Amino acid sequence: MWKWIQKLASPKVFYETTNKLIPWFFWPFIALISIGLYWGLVLAPADYQQGESFRIIYIHVPSAWMSMLVYFIMAVAGGIGLIWQIKMAEVVAKVSAPIGATFTLIALVTGAVWGKPMWGTWWVWDARLTSELILLFLYLAYISLNNAFDNPKTAAKASSILAIVGLVNLPIIHYSVKWWNTLHQGSMFNDISNPSMHPDMLWPLLIMVFAFQFLYGVLALVGARDEVLVREQNSRWVRAVVTGEQS
Amino acid sequence: MTLAETLSFLPYGKYALYIWLSYGITFILIAGLFVRASINYKKIRIQLKNKYAREND
Repeated sequence: MWKWIQKLASPKVFYETTNKLIPWFFWPFIALISIGLYWGLVLAPADYQQGESFRIIYIHVPSAWMSMLVYFIMAVAGGIGLIWQIKMAEVVAKVSAPIGATFTLIALVTGAVWGKPMWGTWWVWDARLTSELILLFLYLAYISLNNAFDNPKTAAKASSILAIVGLVNLPIIHYSVKWWNTLHQGSMFNDISNPSMHPDMLWPLLIMVFAFQFLYGVLALVGARDEVLVREQNSRWVRAVVTGEQS
Repeated sequence: MTLAETLSFLPYGKYALYIWLSYGITFILIAGLFVRASINYKKIRIQLKNKYAREND
């Protein structure tokens, strides 16, 4: 395992691996999103309390989960870059930030749109909503800090420290519905063996969660592949890749 | 008449506005990520090709 990680830390191997992996993430994403959307929008029955509006959860919940998962990956990759000076970990952290920020924005916007007919308001300063908004600001701060330095090493160092400090927000988001009396509903998966959703509604949700994970995979791989080319532009192998020469 | 009532002829009735608005915004944002990735792909390769061409001159 360690040998494999060391091998992947080589920019050339990393580039080749990401290039090969992209279709393995893209096509499952297309298949899962198609099945998930059809099941969620057409086959799943309406909720007995929320009516048809519950269908928004098929994008709201996966994007909210991904907003936290991507932040975690970004902070861990940033930490690996800081501790072991692995440049490819810095690349993963950097390319994850805009994707995670987009997932967070989707979670916030779809939550607000769902909130209007259900709560009667687009927004409340509820603990879950506010901590998710702070997550968006953390992503934006990370992106700004990363772009504020010309030297990629300094940029990665500064932004990784910010990402690691911001990790404290993840348990706050997750437990906010337990720690405070919030308007936002509690977790549906407190007991995984006995979820509070009917399987006809649960399965499309799980499929959409996997679809969003593959979506992150595709976008992160594409971004990382291109970022490696920029960082290693003075290497002979990058010249060979770009100009089409044999290295 | 509210906008939600006006658009209630669409699938999902009185919730049509909210559902389609959510899915529409999500589609635009995700499509934006793919467009950005595609533009970056082309831009980086053009920039690097020009750089190597200048170095060869």
